[in-house]
Parts: sequence; C-alpha cells; structure tokens
Amino acid sequence: MYPDGNRAVDDISFSVHEGEIFGLLGPNGAGKTTTIKMITTLARPTAGSVRVFGVDVQRSPQETRGMFGFVPQAISVDGDLTGYENLLIFAKLFFVDRTERKQRILDALEYFGLADKANVLVKRYSGGMMRRLEIAQALVNRPRILFLDEPSIGLDPYSKRQVTEQVKELNREFGTTILITTHDMAEADTLCDRLAIMNTGKIAVAGAPADLKRSVGGDVLTVRTSGGTVVGLPPGLGSVVSSDQGETKILVEDGEKAIPRLTEYFERAGAVVESVSLSRPTLDDVFMKYAKIGLQQEGTFREARSARRTIARHAR
Amino acid sequence: MNNGQRFASSALTIAEMEARKIRHDSTELWMRGVQPALWLLIFGEVFSTVRGLVPTGYSSYLQYLAPGVLAQSVLFIAIFYGITIVWERDVGLLTKLLSTPSPRLSVVVGKALAAGVRGVFQGIMIFALALIIGVQLRFDPLDVAGVFVVVVLFAMCFASFSMTLASLLKTRDRMMGIGQAITIPLFFASNAIYPVSLMPSWLQTISAVNPLSYVVNAMRAMLITGDYSGLPLDIFALLVSTLFFVACASVMLKRLIE
Repeated sequence: MYPDGNRAVDDISFSVHEGEIFGLLGPNGAGKTTTIKMITTLARPTAGSVRVFGVDVQRSPQETRGMFGFVPQAISVDGDLTGYENLLIFAKLFFVDRTERKQRILDALEYFGLADKANVLVKRYSGGMMRRLEIAQALVNRPRILFLDEPSIGLDPYSKRQVTEQVKELNREFGTTILITTHDMAEADTLCDRLAIMNTGKIAVAGAPADLKRSVGGDVLTVRTSGGTVVGLPPGLGSVVSSDQGETKILVEDGEKAIPRLTEYFERAGAVVESVSLSRPTLDDVFMKYAKIGLQQEGTFREARSARRTIARHAR
Repeated sequence: MNNGQRFASSALTIAEMEARKIRHDSTELWMRGVQPALWLLIFGEVFSTVRGLVPTGYSSYLQYLAPGVLAQSVLFIAIFYGITIVWERDVGLLTKLLSTPSPRLSVVVGKALAAGVRGVFQGIMIFALALIIGVQLRFDPLDVAGVFVVVVLFAMCFASFSMTLASLLKTRDRMMGIGQAITIPLFFASNAIYPVSLMPSWLQTISAVNPLSYVVNAMRAMLITGDYSGLPLDIFALLVSTLFFVACASVMLKRLIE
C-alpha cells in the first residue's frame, strides 16, 4: 500500500505448487511486480503473510532469500564485469561453498550457452544473452523456486523463444518451481501449468490455461454462405453469436467436430457453404475479459518508464 | 560459516566487485587524479608565494597542502558515491543485491569499502605526485599505512552519508546538486588549504565540528609533523561519524527500492 492509501496489491491469495510453472499475468500496474517484491522480501506487505516452502517470509527474510533465485524486470547484471564475474559475485553473496563455486558457475554458463562468452564484459552481450546470464546468475545458489519478472521483455522473437525453452527445460530437468510474470499470452500459454490474472491489485481469475480458455467460451465458427436462408442450428450444436449478410458466427463446444455437421445441415437447408473458419479462444481472450478494466486505466508513469528503460538497455 | 564470517565475506565481495570493475576500466580513476594534481601544481604553487599561509613546523606550503588535497579528493569521490547507488537502483542491480541472503548492513559496508578502494587509488596517485614534485613527506611505512586506513575510513564515512542522502533524494540530478552544495562548504570550512588560525572565529567553530578537519589533522600528523598527540581524538571522531553514517545508510537503503 502506498502512503496515499493507494493499494498496489489488495487482498490476494494464491498458492504455487512445488515443481510447477506458475504465471502471474495482468496489465501494467496490476500489482504483479509488487506481489513478487513481497514474496522476495523486497517489500513488506501491510497485512497478511507469505510462505515460501513453509518459511514465513517476513519472519525469516534471510532464510527465504537463500532459497530462491530472482530475476527482476530491469537488468540486474553488471555491464562492467564479465559474465563469469557476475556469477562469481553472486555465488559469493549466496554463500555457495568455495569448493563448489567454480564448477557451478561453469555449469550454469554452459547450460545457458554462454561458456564461450564467460570472460567478455557483459556490456558487450546482446539483450538475449544478458537475460540468459541473469537467469544463470539466479541459479548459482540452486534455488528451489525461481522468480522471473517479465523475462521476455524487450527481447526479439528468437531470443524470447530461447529463454522460454530454457526456462521450461529447467523446470523439467531439475524440478525447479518457477513463478513468472509476463505480458506475453502465447508465452504464458506454452509455459505455465497454472496461472492467475491480476487486475487492479486483485486476482481476477486463476487456473490452468486450458480451463481458463474454456471459461471464456468455446470455439467460434465463422460460416460464410450464399443463397437460401438458414434458420436455426442443429440441436445441441451451439448458439449463434452474430449473423450478418451471409456471415454467421456460431459458438460451439468442439469446433473441429462441429464443422462437418454444420456444413451438412446448412446444405440440406439449401444454402451454399463458401467457407468455414474456426477460431479457438486464446489466453488473449481470457486476458481481455478479465483485465479490461485495468487496461482502460493506464499503468503508472513510473512503471512505463522502467519498462521502456529496460527495453532500451536490452537493445543497446 | 557463522554470521560474522558471512557478514565479512559479503562486504568484501561487494568491495571486490568494485575492484574488478576498476581493473577492467580504470579511465575514471585517472580522470579523478586530474583535479588534485591541479590543486597541488597550480593552486599550491601560486599560494606558496603568499606569506603567513605556512604554519610553524612546516617547510613549505605544498607540504602543508598535500594532505589537505588528499583528503579533499577522497571526499569528492565519497560524497558522489550515492549517485552510483541511485544508478544501480535505476538499472535493477540494487534490487538484485538486496534479494541475496547477504545481510543488508553488509551491502552498505561493502559499498562503503568500495568507495574506500577508490580512495586508496587517490592516495597512491597523490603520493606519487608529491614524490615527483619533491614535497617532503615522511614516508615511514607505518605512517603511510595509517594514512591509508584513515583514507578508507573517511571514504566509508562520506560514502555512507551519500547513500543515506540517496535513499532520501532518490534521483541522480538531486544527488549531483546536493553533492556540490555540501563539498565546497565542507572544504572551505576546514583546515585543508589554510590554517584554522587564519579563519574568522565563526568559521573556526564550524571547522571544529567538520570531519574533514579531523581527517586532515590525522594525515598531517602522520605524514609531516610526526606529532601524534591529537591522533587519538582525530581517529575517534572519524570512527564515530563513520559508524553513525553506516548505520543511517543501512536503515535507509531499503527506501531506495520501495
């Protein structure tokens, strides 16, 4: 809560299961980053409690910090140091045992394909490499849970996919629990086992991506016909959403199976089916439904500024 | 590792970070050497012709001035150290540092030590310059080591003060402004470039509570006069203010990321 009584996060409750990838979605200013800050002990909640693997975050902040890895939204590697040094400093700050330190750093760099750039100053890295280095850095303490705050911000599609793949791999291979915030719905859909959409400081909806998509309605068939008027639909198929000059939009349960039935029905009624297209709900639709209010109110200037700055730095 | 070891290890790691950066790019360090060189070579040479500036016990004005210039150059580095912290906050580095299990106090001490590392390089440069232009200093190893201890403490003191200010002011522009506004009065209200005895009485009062004066006194005692009678008080004053500002900074620092 800000001093002016503005609540960035207001009465939210969710749990992340061990070993899953959990997505926190929402428009700018929804409170995602604040939520992460509270879990990572960087901000204090005014009320309520956060537990990480049973440890109360407020009561034992230091112990909590030892268990997680955190990649903040903004660049968090030092451009004036080499990739190796960045990892070395953090391994030391996480009290990684001296005997294990070097091997872990080399492993992490190897894993993220940065081994050949280990001794290059980070300011000469590309945006994608920097992001990968940041994730590598967050892994030197072998965290049980990894927090990624908008890891794909400002990355080109290729680097974005690379980061996404590696996050997924990490979860699969080592069972690391991952909490990720993102604006990219396609990314959230492929990556997350479960997700929550936040809006104006509250959780608007939570669940598995497939369930959420189903909740905004089934598949929509757009049928273009000519000649003959069609009245009604086969029983139990679905419902007409809109009908306009030979173009009918129909909401159905299972689009692929509905197509042959519908075509047959229309042709029997004397209409010529020119085309049928199927559109399935995406997480975008889920997002639009639950985040609408927040999009109208704009994100804060500060947040926009920090996001832009991140992009600018990544692009450099 | 126990808590004490952890604390020391974290603080040293953060100072190490700074040392490594200097090793990769030392341009700034050399640039920082220009100003004290000008003070000694130009200001010092011109004012050495002014009679009455050299107190008894000193052979030349340059000899009197050298410790003052050293202290001043360390002050300049330290007072602007908060800008580095604001910059690290802006790019996200600070958030990352504070999300490690290292205690916050060790982060502050480490950052302050990092300013000390830079201060030590200033010391080396000014000593080298003093040797070249033939300023008579007592290069007794113990005294020189003592001067470096004072340099590090002094840098830590004002770097912490600067970090405290940064936590309140939060932007680089404001830090630039306040840094300028603080250093010049501190410098002129001290015994760095002229003896306290030449000051009007009100300025003498200010000088008596000015940490810079104590630092300059300590350095002069070790480098020139060899009179250690005032040294315990000087070191004590410096230690107390350093501890005070380190404590302030570690309490305030979290405001910077909120």
